[in-house]
Amino acid sequence: MMILLLVLPLAGALLMLLWPRIAPLLALFSAAACSLIALQLLLQVSEQGTGYWLLAGWPSGLAIAWQADTLSCLLILLTAVLQLLVGFYAFAIRTRDKLSQGFWPLSSLLQLSLTALWLSRDLFNLYVCLELLALVAVALVSLSGRKAIKPALNYLLLSLFGSLCYLLGVVLLYGAYGRLDIAGLASEWQPNLLTNSALLLMSLGLMLKAALWPLHGWLPAAHAAAPAPVSALLSALVVKGPLFILCLLWLQLASSQQAQAMAPLFAGAGLAALLFGGWSALRTPFAKNLVAYSTVAQLGYATVALGLMLKFDQPLIFAALWLFVLAHALAKAACFLAIGEMSGTLGGKRLTTLKGASQTMPLAMFAFAVAGGSLIGLPPSGGFLAKWALLQGLWSQDQQLFWPLALVLATLLSAAYVFRVVVLAFDRADPVAPDFSPQVLPQWLALLPALAVWAMALFSEPLLLLLRLEAL
Amino acid sequence: MRPLMAELSSSLNVFLATAAALVAIGVYGFIVGPEPLRRIVALNIISAGIFKLMVVLAYRGSGNGDAEWLADPVLHALVLTGLVVAVSATAFALALLARLGQSMTAGQEDPGQ
Amino acid sequence: MSLLLFDLLLCGLLLALALASVLSRQLSHAVILYIAFGLLMALTWARLAAPDLALAEAAIGAGLTGALCFTALARQGRLAVGPTLGWQQRCWPALFVLVTLCGLLLVLLQIPVNPGPLPALVKQQLAASGVSHPVTAVLLNFRSWDTLLELLVLLLALLGTLQVAPAPVRQSSWVLSRSWSQLLAPLIILLAGYLLWAGAHQPGGAFQAGALLAAGAVVLKLNQQLNWLVWTNGWVRFFTIAGLAVFVIAVLAAWLLSDAVAEPVWLSWPPEFAKYIILLIEIFATLAIAITLTLLVVAEQPGTPLSLARQEDNETADG
Repeated sequence: MMILLLVLPLAGALLMLLWPRIAPLLALFSAAACSLIALQLLLQVSEQGTGYWLLAGWPSGLAIAWQADTLSCLLILLTAVLQLLVGFYAFAIRTRDKLSQGFWPLSSLLQLSLTALWLSRDLFNLYVCLELLALVAVALVSLSGRKAIKPALNYLLLSLFGSLCYLLGVVLLYGAYGRLDIAGLASEWQPNLLTNSALLLMSLGLMLKAALWPLHGWLPAAHAAAPAPVSALLSALVVKGPLFILCLLWLQLASSQQAQAMAPLFAGAGLAALLFGGWSALRTPFAKNLVAYSTVAQLGYATVALGLMLKFDQPLIFAALWLFVLAHALAKAACFLAIGEMSGTLGGKRLTTLKGASQTMPLAMFAFAVAGGSLIGLPPSGGFLAKWALLQGLWSQDQQLFWPLALVLATLLSAAYVFRVVVLAFDRADPVAPDFSPQVLPQWLALLPALAVWAMALFSEPLLLLLRLEAL
Repeated sequence: MRPLMAELSSSLNVFLATAAALVAIGVYGFIVGPEPLRRIVALNIISAGIFKLMVVLAYRGSGNGDAEWLADPVLHALVLTGLVVAVSATAFALALLARLGQSMTAGQEDPGQ
Repeated sequence: MSLLLFDLLLCGLLLALALASVLSRQLSHAVILYIAFGLLMALTWARLAAPDLALAEAAIGAGLTGALCFTALARQGRLAVGPTLGWQQRCWPALFVLVTLCGLLLVLLQIPVNPGPLPALVKQQLAASGVSHPVTAVLLNFRSWDTLLELLVLLLALLGTLQVAPAPVRQSSWVLSRSWSQLLAPLIILLAGYLLWAGAHQPGGAFQAGALLAAGAVVLKLNQQLNWLVWTNGWVRFFTIAGLAVFVIAVLAAWLLSDAVAEPVWLSWPPEFAKYIILLIEIFATLAIAITLTLLVVAEQPGTPLSLARQEDNETADG
């Protein structure tokens, strides 16, 4: 059944190119079917344990390795569900915002490349997946037309540079051990100059692609220039791909010495991302840029969690890392869809056009506020869950005062930029009049993921259990 | 202690050093630029350096006196894949660049923009 | 000794060309130097016992990338003139790069001199792969998932390019070059067919053949021939997609027909049919690669439904 997760979007995308007229239908169908299959796969894996495949049945080392553990399955499910949701949104606004026909095959291919990435455990195959992901993402950004070309080109060039850094690292490892599968490499791994530099090169490339501080410069422009559904997919999913590979490298390959040495760097970069991203989000005059900077900041939580995980080797912190990713994906999808809906209807990119939006478009504003609650980390949202797991993990280590305090500061910053929007929206004295009467369905679609991220609290026990198992 | 590249025939070491130097030249071109087209060319030089490194690595073991010696086919296949990926990405980047150049020229002619 | 001299000369030239391309004042010089660089790279591959790569590099690396860069150069407009850089703007990056280079060299010398376990493994499993040329076996059997994704990367680049394709630059062709190109066409088709067929047992294969076909088609297309070769043509679309579609169908068929019903392995070909499946995939992949690469180089069709330029024109017309 599992291969349908890859074949359906691929076949769908090919058919969409042949018959563009039925493209939306095909895209929605394949996303819906994939969501169901992914759910089934998740249940199966959580019952029967991790699946490991050598593609085409060749001996280990020669074949490309795949692994479906609970984390991969969760991410596959997340990808499919968000694809479905964003597809519905794009379908709902199709009469108003003429998204080019190009959107549908590209979004299906995005789903395919992400699914391939979550499954792959082969360093070179991951490189091909990364390139695929970058090209899809850039093609999606350039759908916006003239104004998006420059950020798209910038994004593509930096992304290619990042891929090449990664590839150089892979080649060094192949030169050292003569193999590419992560499991095989891990069994022969020795900390030395060669592996050190390979890890550093690969991390540099991946950090550039994942827009981790200080290599995040391309992200705000690219994500803000893209059409709303695309921004939602980019922020929610695409930047998580390189992050996933980064975690694979440092948690499965690197020796404990190497991990210990790198831990403060990751944690420091994450903290800087939290502060810098939050501060920029507070100051930018444009609505979509605010959300994009918030992505930079929120990726900081994940980086901090990765650094602390490397330092303390606590399963709870690992769970927190991926809870952050899940919660952020859902919340950011909601934010981008809501902001996109509001700027589209109220006709303006600036934050000031949202003035009085709570009156003119209450649903979309509610969606933004609810999702913002999770970004801040208000209990009992998904964001709170992640932060709580992180703090619990830290408390079990003694004398950790610095990190909890830093997290509090970051929380205050994110609260400030979320309230910046909310306060403006509740300024009902002189609301900006909408260009046309607001559509209800897209606003509901924006609200759905925001509600889902709060519903994560209901599943907190099984989620924590699943993710903690993966860390071992 | 396994023998290292440092003790290899001088010929291969020349190629190895060239590969590294190509990567370095490409990185310099990418950082300094300044035109986007030159950055794209620089990226291609970096990838040429990396592919060259891969081919040199594939050439290892040729001097062992093994009559049926074969250059590492896995690395050759990876380079082929990499070549196609690189040309695809380059083509897309150049298309974006051409579009950007066109819209900027249009913007220049049109005083309204 | 003379071989070492040859190697030194080759590497020296490569470095000189690369450096000159990066440092040259004019952008057009940079592009020309880069094309010469690509040709020398092909020579290097031949020297290092990689004839597959030499073929591919000569067609793709030097030929098509060069054509691409030249097309881009013609369309650069204002972007062609970058700001002149000061002494300091060049000095610090150069220093940084030099330090990196030293580090990289130090690291490269740590690589063990013995090849890893994979070449021996490939040799051992080659008989079961259905082809006798090891590189083809790796590409289309041992690591076929990579190849499938790579075809997808190519298709994606085409989609992206068509989407942003700028308005065409009208040019008329030169009569002499047109008649020469017509002479060239059958020769190229013949050569590409040979390369494809040869790929099963000696250097050659789908990518080399496809790239060669594309190179020929680009020449013809630039001479205003092959006017049917546009994305709006349904057959062209069909064959572009067929490369991937045949691959996927073969995978699905092999998967459904495999004996191991309980836990079927994806992407494995039944050994007795492997040869024919690989040949079938290669034929369609060659066509798809040739068409895609051609369209990538000569992508000036604002008439395609995917093109954003057309949409913007419509919007301006509406407003």
